[in-house]
Amino acid sequence: MVELVPALLRQELNRLAEEGTRIDGREQWEARDVSLETDCLYNAEGSAKVVMGGTIVYAGVKFELRTPWPDRPTQGSLMCGAELRPVAGRKYEPGPPSPESIELGRVVDRGIRESGCIDMESLCIVPGEKVWGVMIDIHVLSDQGNIFDACGLAAIAALRTAVVPAERFDVGEDHTLQVNGTPIMASFTRVGGRFVLDANEHEELGGDERIHITLGDEGHLHSLQKGLKGVFTPAEFAEIFDVAQKRCVELRKMVAKTEGN
Amino acid sequence: MMGGYGDVKLLKDDGSRLDGRKVDEMRPVSIQAGVLPAADGSAMVTHGLNVAVAAVYGPMEAHPRKIQRQDRAVIDVRYNMAPFSTSDRIRPGFNRRSREISKVTAESLESVVLVERYPRSKIRVEIEILAAEAGTRCAGITAASVALADAGIPMRDMIVGVASGKIEDTVVLDLDKAEDNYGQADLPVGILPNTGEIAFLQMDGDLSPEEYELAMEYNFKAANEIHEIMVEALQRRYDGGEA
Repeated sequence: MVELVPALLRQELNRLAEEGTRIDGREQWEARDVSLETDCLYNAEGSAKVVMGGTIVYAGVKFELRTPWPDRPTQGSLMCGAELRPVAGRKYEPGPPSPESIELGRVVDRGIRESGCIDMESLCIVPGEKVWGVMIDIHVLSDQGNIFDACGLAAIAALRTAVVPAERFDVGEDHTLQVNGTPIMASFTRVGGRFVLDANEHEELGGDERIHITLGDEGHLHSLQKGLKGVFTPAEFAEIFDVAQKRCVELRKMVAKTEGN
Repeated sequence: MMGGYGDVKLLKDDGSRLDGRKVDEMRPVSIQAGVLPAADGSAMVTHGLNVAVAAVYGPMEAHPRKIQRQDRAVIDVRYNMAPFSTSDRIRPGFNRRSREISKVTAESLESVVLVERYPRSKIRVEIEILAAEAGTRCAGITAASVALADAGIPMRDMIVGVASGKIEDTVVLDLDKAEDNYGQADLPVGILPNTGEIAFLQMDGDLSPEEYELAMEYNFKAANEIHEIMVEALQRRYDGGEA
């Protein structure tokens, strides 16, 4: 499946959609197999590896001591960034961060930040002087579609297993990072005219716009993003929103189960 | 904390190393081939606590055209440390160290890949370090070799990355982080196990000619051990899962 024939691929995806199936035989709202592993990177204070179909991403959490912003003297900070390096696929080129990788990192960042799962006050060590900066770095190693959901899952799973390295910085005892919630992202791509859950690389290549929905534990919306060219109706959104609710509950259970082990 | 040579005790009274290894003992190594579905070839090398992943793409059209060679392929290597791979976070992006390692790694791989077979094309080798604990360039070279083989790219031989060094005036195989930080010398090499040739060579510190000889002897011994693990990894991938 090379990029030279997206028109033919589109035709084929349209035909499959009419038959109610997908290029890999899945149903419209059926996701690929997911596996999640945590505490898998030696030097990271929290880490996770997610495999979603042929997509593989790692997330690692690091901490640094910094001085708080003058207008928020008792608050630490959280930053989430994603790297789409050339390792991830044939289409990725070396160079400064691409708009795609910036969007990816920011959408994941918003979902985690806006869910309020990290209490910024809890990252304060000495008001006005010393707070923790928490950094989640996401590394995409293999892109075979839907890297957004894989990155979102890896980021929150890594964060939830993070241990604050207070001893190494000489500011108290090491302790588990307090994370109050598990925001989860579900992404949909228009393929063959209708939305599908968890698109693979061929569906993305021959598809249109995508919608990313991040939901908190109570099913509240914390981040939305529409990417790429295309339009959708409120009725279409209502339909995928229902699917997103179910999908997020499933993935949240997977995070809880991994932590239980 | 950051003392100079000899400030930190690295050998126990019984002559063994802090992690219990003998002087000529390497850290455990495990290798998997074909770990990244998006790549044409890939490998993951775990060497002690180091984790290196390599992906190979190509041969493909070389662009921009000015990098094309009329008579051979060019090998484009990027060695990169993930931000979370070290104790202190690394800012993403290239730095002088990773550029130099990428350059000499590319040159060593060009010495074994049959680049004449693919004129005007490019072979991309991406080395990503996920966890670093001294010895990442060697783990990266080993991973790149297995990934090239996994991609079906013809080579004269694979390159095995190994290193020896000197701590407390004693030559030892395969320095770990403490030994690298507080030791007296480090000699990373890339060895062609079938021909006994050397395709990659760096060194820093202080070694007498005799110490160099011993360090190289250790390196060749380790290269043969790692080579077996590389071959086994490829056999597992291509012989229907039989180890």
